[in-house]
Amino acid sequence: MASSVPFHHLACCFSVSQQEKECFQQQLWRTTRARYSSSRIRATQQAVKASSVEVPAFPLFQPSQLEEAASEQLEPADPDFYKIGYVRSMRAYGIEFKEGPDGFGVYASKDVQPLRRPRMIMEIPLELMLTVSKKHPWMFFPDIIPVGHPIFDIINSTNPETDWDLRLACLLLYSFDCKDNFWQLYGDFLPSKEECTNLLLATEDDLLELQDEDLASAMRKQQSRAFEFWEKNWHSGVPLKIKRLAREPERFFWALGIAQSRCINIQMRVGALVQDANMLVPYADMLNHSPEPNCFFHWRFKDRMLEVMINAGQEIRKGEEMTVNYMPQQKNNMFMERYGFSSPVNPWDEIQFSGNARIHLDSFLSIFNISGLADEYYHNDELSGSEGSFVDGAVLAAARTLPTWSDGDLPPVPSSERRAFKELQEECRQMLAKYPTTSEQDQKMLDSMSEPRRTLEAAIKYRLHRKLFIKKVIQALDMYQDRLLF
Amino acid sequence: FLPGIQVDPARLSYPFSTSSWVLGTASFLVSTKLKLKPWKNLPKIPKHCRWEFRSLPIRVARHLSKKPALAATMVSLPTTWLYQDRGLRITISPHRVRKPGLPSLFPSGVCAIRSRKQPRLLHRIRCENEDEDEGIEHVYVERPPYHSYFDSTSGQLEPASGARASIPGEDCWPEGTSDRVRAARAPAPAGAISAGSSSNGQNPGSRRRKHRASATGPRSSDAIIEVKDLGNVAAEETIVEEETAEEPRDESSEYVIYQMEPEVEEETGFALDKKLGRPHPFIDPKVKKPIEGTLPEEELWWNWKKPEEEQWSRWQRRKPDVETVFLKAMAENGEVKLYGETPSLTETALYRARKHLYKEERLRLEQEKLERIGPMAYYSEWVKAWQRDTSREAVEKHFQETGQDETMQLMEMFSYQTDREYRIMMGTDIRIKRDPLAMRLKEDQIKQIWGGDPVYPTINYKQDPNEIIDYRGPDFHEPTPNMVAYLKEHGKLISRHELEQTLAKEKTEQVELTDMDDAMARAVDIGENDEEEETSDVEEEDEDSKLPRNWSVLKTAPELRKSKPKAKKEGAMNLDEAIDDSENLTDFLMDFEEE
Repeated sequence: MASSVPFHHLACCFSVSQQEKECFQQQLWRTTRARYSSSRIRATQQAVKASSVEVPAFPLFQPSQLEEAASEQLEPADPDFYKIGYVRSMRAYGIEFKEGPDGFGVYASKDVQPLRRPRMIMEIPLELMLTVSKKHPWMFFPDIIPVGHPIFDIINSTNPETDWDLRLACLLLYSFDCKDNFWQLYGDFLPSKEECTNLLLATEDDLLELQDEDLASAMRKQQSRAFEFWEKNWHSGVPLKIKRLAREPERFFWALGIAQSRCINIQMRVGALVQDANMLVPYADMLNHSPEPNCFFHWRFKDRMLEVMINAGQEIRKGEEMTVNYMPQQKNNMFMERYGFSSPVNPWDEIQFSGNARIHLDSFLSIFNISGLADEYYHNDELSGSEGSFVDGAVLAAARTLPTWSDGDLPPVPSSERRAFKELQEECRQMLAKYPTTSEQDQKMLDSMSEPRRTLEAAIKYRLHRKLFIKKVIQALDMYQDRLLF
Repeated sequence: FLPGIQVDPARLSYPFSTSSWVLGTASFLVSTKLKLKPWKNLPKIPKHCRWEFRSLPIRVARHLSKKPALAATMVSLPTTWLYQDRGLRITISPHRVRKPGLPSLFPSGVCAIRSRKQPRLLHRIRCENEDEDEGIEHVYVERPPYHSYFDSTSGQLEPASGARASIPGEDCWPEGTSDRVRAARAPAPAGAISAGSSSNGQNPGSRRRKHRASATGPRSSDAIIEVKDLGNVAAEETIVEEETAEEPRDESSEYVIYQMEPEVEEETGFALDKKLGRPHPFIDPKVKKPIEGTLPEEELWWNWKKPEEEQWSRWQRRKPDVETVFLKAMAENGEVKLYGETPSLTETALYRARKHLYKEERLRLEQEKLERIGPMAYYSEWVKAWQRDTSREAVEKHFQETGQDETMQLMEMFSYQTDREYRIMMGTDIRIKRDPLAMRLKEDQIKQIWGGDPVYPTINYKQDPNEIIDYRGPDFHEPTPNMVAYLKEHGKLISRHELEQTLAKEKTEQVELTDMDDAMARAVDIGENDEEEETSDVEEEDEDSKLPRNWSVLKTAPELRKSKPKAKKEGAMNLDEAIDDSENLTDFLMDFEEE
């Protein structure tokens, strides 16, 4: 008992400071929620990250205005969802799978204290996955493709450099046809064709709604590529065991979309063999994306399991969503192309400015309390008081994308600086004006549509997010102007 | 208080919870007070537990309120006090207990048992519920001879049953163990049974939330449904199985459920016979299916087809046996005549039989001679120095004169035998060649019989002199050609009528012969003209009689006579030819070694 007294005191100290922090965060959270309801503050020990993009996995696209409703609408997933994996020695620790109106998500079911070492929340045995090696000899773990099956010839005919998604889609389709394969059960929990937001399934109208010609043409190329592949390998003369895998092109498109959006590339080691593989990992693919993730994947060699682990030192509150980073440092159009979602607060988004106006980088960063190197900007909330709520991923993106100058300790010249951000703002406004619709109109369209097609919804959201991002940059420049002290 | 506290040693031994220690203390004290022999095997009570005895009643009560089932086993009310320890039963007869019950034996503070739920002072504690007890069968297994022991490893008292050594901490677990433990401890998914069922990959996304409402209703009614439904049923079954197998652990599984009576399975017929080891058919007659497409035995006999005689491997050759090689060597030596180049099976069998018979005959003759002339005369052949008469009469006479019987006389005779004579008699004289042919066998023939090494023969290492070689080949069943017709046609077999005619003719001729050539008949043939006559005869004979046997296959099938010219070329073949020449790779390699 004698030793426990000081400890108790210590604990009190801790809890007090925790409470303070929590209060602060609550406040922060509320204000943030008021303005950008999709941003969420994480209680990390060091710095509360500027914001995390609440972007769900590709079927799971949570509209910002619906988020509050969505969090209420979250309900536990079908009990069989975990059961089918549990009996096959997949394990989940301290998390639960929940299903919202837009899809699945993984949420913490209890608080996790920050730990020195990463803490495992899921382990998935290799036997449940579908994997293809990235390079030529094609190896499948588990090896479900029998020798001499024509699906192997199809897989073998793909371009080894580029067509990893086609291979994975073939494998996925084949696994659905495989007797007693786990994916026959798991497939029921994947998003169906109607729920997919992947633009492979988009119509031409949807692509026009993107208001982004580059992305639309890229998607058209993708669609034609997929369709050619389907036509080549699923023509009328193929044997039945191939034909029944994808009788109509939509099914193949769907499989391709699933493969693109749920593929995990990880270096795995099986026995003495180390190989890079494209894998479809059940359960792990239900984790949603965040540019500041709290989880990561880890391959456990000794019993061939994929572990999902919480970052070391990350504190998790009950009900918080577990996220991973799908693609680091990618713009919205890349996410849109591959996963079918976008975010207004993607910290890696870009705007191409044509003029030569430049603002002073260090001033901009210090005004918004952004710390870190260019690759790892973060919002330093200890410096900013209560007004840190303005800064989110979009401002970080602005700090990256705005043309800036920095020359040692040289301070900015007021006149040139004012001129510069005026010009930049003007350019942003011109960009906004070029779009046929404004963000308010987009928002109205979204609200007015009842039961829209997912792809159409995603396309409208994409352009909406683009406009929101530009608006945010304008706002940031305004604020910069206000706060800049010469 | 505690008129009967029955402490279960197994419960007490592990885990060493405080309450069970206290209970042990209680029973110890109770037994002491009652002037009974204290419980022998009660482990030593640690000091830190002693003071807790003051709080015994409450702790007991708590303990009992927490675990009624345990209380039922630990505390029993009847005045007869039993506890079991290796069959030792101590009984207190009821008359020793005073009327108000045992409480008077104890200070009142100790006796009060309070439980939280029932704060009133219980006059009589009723801890055993007969109604509940019905389901539980108390089985007293034989106790181990001791229930705790001083472990020299840990330096502590360790329970003798259950986990012997304490399990080390997680830090000391081997690699991977904590993973497995964690995986095993992970709570099984608890939840209602899902309404949907698997579509077996036909309909991805069918169990998402959007479809969940519709999943309960009737499924879509397409034409494909039949197949789909079958799949559904199968999937449901598997899921149900898995659920039952992986049920969450039962918290109330504190009791081991013993299976007292082995399940008796009634087995009859084949299974019973097989189990008991009684004679039974090799295959279960219920399971046994007749092999289709076979003929009955009679049909099989007549429809037997000779298998193809293609020799595709050197291993299919006949096993080289001593007789064949010897016979061949004899033929080369001119001792016998063979029909072909190598002795046929028949010839070998004949040779073997003859060899055996000749040997038997020789031995028999020797034995007869021995018996006829008596042993003295017989063995005197090998004693040159013995010049005396060896006839039976002489032996008998000698016996009458000197009293030496035949054996003594033999011994005396053998004392004159020289070493050389002895060796000759015993057949051990190396200067006498016993079987010249065996000595003169060529090396390859010796190798055929015994392999290269005479000391450690590589073939025929089982040199069983009485081995009967199975000469039945694949043509064992081949019907013998009908020889009667052949013999008749060639005049070898004649009818009785013809025989009589011939005999009649011979009689007349014989008479003539005896008349004419008496001198010739009596003359001794010195063999001057034999060869000439034979050769002339041979020349006159037709080709058939050139064949060395009277009847042979070659006579019925003259096309076999012209043997194919040996394809083997003289001189060195080149590699391709050699490969073509040999039938397979093994042959080629072995030929290659030879040449």
